[in-house]
Amino acid sequence: MYERYHVPKKEMPPPGVPFSKSSVIRSDRCMNCGRCKDACVYGVHERDASDPRTMAEPKSYLCKNCLRCVEDCPQRALSVELSPSYLQLGGGLWTPQRIFTIWNEAWTGKIPVFGAGYRGKFVGPGYDSMWTDMSEIVRPTRDGIHGREFISTSVDLGKRVDYLEFDEAGRLMTKMPDFVELPIPMVLDLTRIDLTPQARKGLMQAAKTLGTLFMAQAEGALPNGSNGSMVPVFAPGRTSANPDLSSPRMVEVEHSSDWRSDLRALKERFGGTPVGIRIQARNGVEREVVELASSDVDVVHILYDEQGQEVDGRLAKDSLMAVNRALATASLRERVSIIAGGGLAAAEHVPKSLICGADAVTMERALKVALGCQACADCDKDRCMADRESVTSDWSKWRAVNLIGAWRDQLLEVMGAMGMREARRLRGEIGRAIFFEEVEKDAFAGIKGGA
Amino acid sequence: MATRFFESTTEDDYSQVPPQLLKRMSRYRVARADTCINCGTCASLCPYGVHRRVEGHVSILPPADPKCIGPSCASNSFYCVKNCPTGSLSLSANPAFTSMGDPRWTAEMILGTWKMAESGEPLPLDHQANTGASGGGFDRMSFELPPLKGSFDPGSISTAIDLNHRKEGTRVRIPIPVYGGGMSFGSISQRTMLARAMAAKEWGTFTCTGEGGYPELLIPYKEHVITQIATGLFGVREETIKRAPIVEFKYAQGAKPGLGGHLLYEKNTPDVARMREAVPFTNLFSPFPFHSVYSVEDHKKHLDWIASVNPRALLSVKVSTPNDVEMVAVGSYYAGAHIVHLDGGYGGTGAAPEIAKKNIAMPIEYAIPKVHRFLEKEGIREEVTLIASGGVRTAMDVAKAIALGADGVVIGTAELVALGCVRCANCESGRGCPRGIATTDKELEQLNQIPILARRLSNLYRSWRLQWCELLFRLDMNDLRQLRGRTDLLRYAGTPGRMLP
Repeated sequence: MYERYHVPKKEMPPPGVPFSKSSVIRSDRCMNCGRCKDACVYGVHERDASDPRTMAEPKSYLCKNCLRCVEDCPQRALSVELSPSYLQLGGGLWTPQRIFTIWNEAWTGKIPVFGAGYRGKFVGPGYDSMWTDMSEIVRPTRDGIHGREFISTSVDLGKRVDYLEFDEAGRLMTKMPDFVELPIPMVLDLTRIDLTPQARKGLMQAAKTLGTLFMAQAEGALPNGSNGSMVPVFAPGRTSANPDLSSPRMVEVEHSSDWRSDLRALKERFGGTPVGIRIQARNGVEREVVELASSDVDVVHILYDEQGQEVDGRLAKDSLMAVNRALATASLRERVSIIAGGGLAAAEHVPKSLICGADAVTMERALKVALGCQACADCDKDRCMADRESVTSDWSKWRAVNLIGAWRDQLLEVMGAMGMREARRLRGEIGRAIFFEEVEKDAFAGIKGGA
Repeated sequence: MATRFFESTTEDDYSQVPPQLLKRMSRYRVARADTCINCGTCASLCPYGVHRRVEGHVSILPPADPKCIGPSCASNSFYCVKNCPTGSLSLSANPAFTSMGDPRWTAEMILGTWKMAESGEPLPLDHQANTGASGGGFDRMSFELPPLKGSFDPGSISTAIDLNHRKEGTRVRIPIPVYGGGMSFGSISQRTMLARAMAAKEWGTFTCTGEGGYPELLIPYKEHVITQIATGLFGVREETIKRAPIVEFKYAQGAKPGLGGHLLYEKNTPDVARMREAVPFTNLFSPFPFHSVYSVEDHKKHLDWIASVNPRALLSVKVSTPNDVEMVAVGSYYAGAHIVHLDGGYGGTGAAPEIAKKNIAMPIEYAIPKVHRFLEKEGIREEVTLIASGGVRTAMDVAKAIALGADGVVIGTAELVALGCVRCANCESGRGCPRGIATTDKELEQLNQIPILARRLSNLYRSWRLQWCELLFRLDMNDLRQLRGRTDLLRYAGTPGRMLP
């Protein structure tokens, strides 16, 4: 029976006092008049429960930076500033805002909604220099988020045949290749992040709850059958590793000069199961992908770094567009599926990766951020919140499910605005996106100093 | 009555409002350490009144930071920091000031808008509060201006625009090229709505009901109130259409292009619900799109419906900025619209998913020239009133939008900031705006007095008008309409390649 896909969500607050974006500082000048208590609608300022004559330490984590207490304080004793620990979060693509947003999504599973318009930079590198299209009047949108109109976020991984052949009796002669249908275009890649055993277990369960896949090293992986959602990832030349594995829905092997023999070995070992090859993105990756696509490979998994770049610095957006174009030019686009991994730090990166040419994406660092990681430049296991012993598998599972559920809802928003009803059709739809370089030229080329 | 602003220059038509906000918010912080012996030297030195000692008090008052002129004071003989015998004073940037604002609305811009709202005086055209720090669009654009020579008489400079460029229909002219955007009762308080209507009436321009019904207290201002019809049809009745001089169809909005409206249950108080004929404290959704409009023909039926209910009303079509925005604009014109209102992706005041604000539809800076040129090629530019909105923050943004090809502009956030908004962005949920502007909470609403709100808006318009007058004077023009489409007067800073970090 048909069931509409739905992501269950469950509030999962962080342990202890939540992280504060702002710090509210009360100076010695405070005379405990309590006007701040009246001013604050969020409960930051309260009297000290043990001594009601004095004000308690402000609860900074509740502060929304409205500055009313600062203005109302007769002693000018209060100040609010962005907390230094907030400003130090992450680095590069992983801005404090993005990390803070992921934490909130993982906590509530909700789409971030605020008033007062856009607050950021006009454009930025990579995916920040493109906008998705919307429809109105002549091309209506689809009202997906509240479920009034159906939008499918399903995608397929694997080969598609170019045409079908039938015999004279009308029977299908073409052998249909196996493929994997996923309800969301997001796969959890656990091979690129360090996790505690409990967190790892939780993320595997999350993949199952979401009905999607997770990727883990084939060697040392959990015994087969623990989870039908696993994509074992084999090291080059070690395709016979872990003989207990049976009937995964998909397998992957890392790219090497001997990829053809690895591919052959995996096809022999796993029958029709789609085989993916992971390839490090570097200059000219599109030519390598075309070469792979001309073989028996079903899926090409392109790995970008955590900043969403190739080894030589080309951004995933440009790289994926080049790959998509090269495959289309060689008439091979339907012969492989493309998975893009690395540098997915915000919900909009999912639809934008698809528009630029990916069939699906993997999430890695974002998953760890959901568990409390701060995406520090100098990763230190000893002080990482996500690596604490106290992190349980259940908590990890729901944090990941909430995050991915919130990202899926945001994918629905974007597709609804575009009037798209199928995530499959989003792939390579660059005509339904607006690119900075082009519009900038169109609009301002005639202005002195312009493009 | 609108013409009076053309007659006098130093008129007392405006008045200052109490500096409620500027009094408390400052760029600098003057700190006095415990080592202060309350000798009062600083109080006797500072000519700006930062330090004050009240007769009979032992201690000197906490420093009044907003009056301090900052580090540039160091060259003065009366510089308090240098003169304090115990070295107890220090001067630094105010952390609250640096934490306020964002690249689009910088702290300077918020304070500058407050300054204009409180004083009614224009800022200099090269003031940093006129531009944001977003690194693109309006923020990289400037006018190439000759220096101001001599003085000018604002009374001799027209900033008026016509809202009906078609040959037939009611003639409507507004003396300033801006009117207020749709903000519903429910999203903002009745006091805020009323103040906007009062300011609109004073200036002979318009404000808009938004999609939440037409509160009765706006009826005395009905000649200056636009009735909005949006997809949820909340509060739309025959009489609200009949009383409006302009009826606006909201197909999409820049805050969330392609997505429907959403009033969170907490703000849907019994008063709001009554107006919208809905159940109190439930979430109210406006669907997207109009489920009766799937083509330009359907769209024309919509406009014909309003034209038959209220033949004197001008028809405005508010759309967002997709790739094919020019086709939507042309279609709207042929369907009978007088005003094509483009709402760009970076604007809006309402609750919206963050993903929509940043990623869906193009910024207005791109849409204006695109549509302007297309309408010219189509040969109908002179029959369409092209109104832009969505991220138009200052008088200079308005002028830039007009130079790119718009006739006029709709503002929303700038009005709210003038009323005291700090853009903390928490207006959508809970009790709403902690400053009582965008709230339906009875208690919070009372933080603001209607006459002061109205005066703040009116002062903002006055300041803006004087800024436009100076701009036009320096460009050797005497009518704002001459500025339309004059991209040759604009300069764009840097090639786009260099813009990317």
